[in-house]
Amino acid sequence: MSEKRALALHPQDNLAVAAQDIGPGDPVRVEFKDGATRQVKAVEAVPFGFKIALVDIAQGGELLKYGQVIGRASQPIAAGQQIHIHNAQGQRA
Amino acid sequence: MSFLGYPRPDGSYGTRNYVLILPGGLTSGKICEFVEGTRTIITPDYGGGRTKRDRETVARVLVGLGRNPNVAGVILHGLHPAMQYPELKPEVLAQQIAASGKPVEVITAEPYGDTYEVLVRGIKAARRLVHEASHVRRQEVGDEHLCLGVKCGVSDSTSGIAGNPAVGYIFDKVVAAGGIAMFGETTEIIGAEHLLAKRAANQEVAQRILTVSHDIEEKSKGYGQDIRTVNPIPANIEAGITTLEEKSLGAIAKAGTSPIQGVLAYGERPAGRGLYFVDNWMSMNSIFLGYTASGANATLMVWGGGGYVADTILYPSLGVVAPLIWTTGNVNTYRACEESMDFCAGTVIDGSETLSQAGDRLLELVRQVASGSCTKTDTLSFQEVSKVYFQDAAF
Repeated sequence: MSEKRALALHPQDNLAVAAQDIGPGDPVRVEFKDGATRQVKAVEAVPFGFKIALVDIAQGGELLKYGQVIGRASQPIAAGQQIHIHNAQGQRA
Repeated sequence: MSFLGYPRPDGSYGTRNYVLILPGGLTSGKICEFVEGTRTIITPDYGGGRTKRDRETVARVLVGLGRNPNVAGVILHGLHPAMQYPELKPEVLAQQIAASGKPVEVITAEPYGDTYEVLVRGIKAARRLVHEASHVRRQEVGDEHLCLGVKCGVSDSTSGIAGNPAVGYIFDKVVAAGGIAMFGETTEIIGAEHLLAKRAANQEVAQRILTVSHDIEEKSKGYGQDIRTVNPIPANIEAGITTLEEKSLGAIAKAGTSPIQGVLAYGERPAGRGLYFVDNWMSMNSIFLGYTASGANATLMVWGGGGYVADTILYPSLGVVAPLIWTTGNVNTYRACEESMDFCAGTVIDGSETLSQAGDRLLELVRQVASGSCTKTDTLSFQEVSKVYFQDAAF
């Protein structure tokens, strides 16, 4: 249960990218580009490069990465859960 | 000083010193087998049975390759039947290439002459041009003579936060120095086009960016296809990218932060210096050919890969005449194929380097390769097939 790292790319982002493999229950230090940090507890595995929710996101809620909307939650997402095609979808095309 | 480049009569500087045999095909291939220091294009489609618009693209690519700073001299022949279309006639192409001031030779067979005659004359001419080209000496020149093109491939989450930003960093440096930098992949700006439009040098360019992005989305719908079933590709999703918007937002990081001076068609030469968006296709067999036709003297690939390898990482010089520098932002991918990867920006993710430190390291590598150092895949002896980016169906 050692502390793991994740990178958030914009102050407004509600998700971060795992900088290493994160296991269920791991405490995660989220590093923002401007130097700010915050903590989130992983509730499931989030492999290196995959996304972890920083806050609870309602179904239909916007997913923010790079400070931009990359899609919406297709089901409720809890803080610490992995975000991928099983619970998120894009809005384009 | 930035790099050691071969001076060309039009004021450009080459990073390589090839003699180019055009068009592609059996005869050109055999001339290249005979003569060291030559290049030709390997492509399945010469423009025969293609629309005028697509034949003009072929012509633009052939002329652009011939004019590329990495080419010392050009030999053209008309043995392929497609070369009898008016816009593809060897004399027509030769005239446009010769405008750059470099030597161009057209080899035509006499009526009822034979193919072997062209082959023999081609070998003789190529040997002479290669010998002449060997007298050109590299000179010290600045970054303003770099003309770069970039593509990202098998993007994963590291591409948007390390691999692409490192290239974006050097694009900003090269543009600030007065050089040219090109990025593209129209299907990969969907969802990020509003951000690029804001960076356009003027309103006309902004509108053009929005138009080409809209057009590709509409083209997909026109075929009854959802572009999301094409892109993101399965390998992107396997590697953690969830949506097209997410992929696009990561992809545009490779463009840096400079104003966008214009939108180029595939193989079109930029009218000025600075950063350009190219309305092109994401296929790696196509995009680097387009960049070198637009004048790129070095090209960059940003590979994600998700830590996995593919046979594509063994592709050397897909732009035919310009070196291809393989980079990645993923340390696992780098470790998996270090024998082909020239650069890893994964340090930005593990925190051992800042983006500017990694970027400066990449810029130095580009200067070394531009000066004549091999990329790792330059050590391979084969050439992969290139594909011209066509707009229309074949008839």
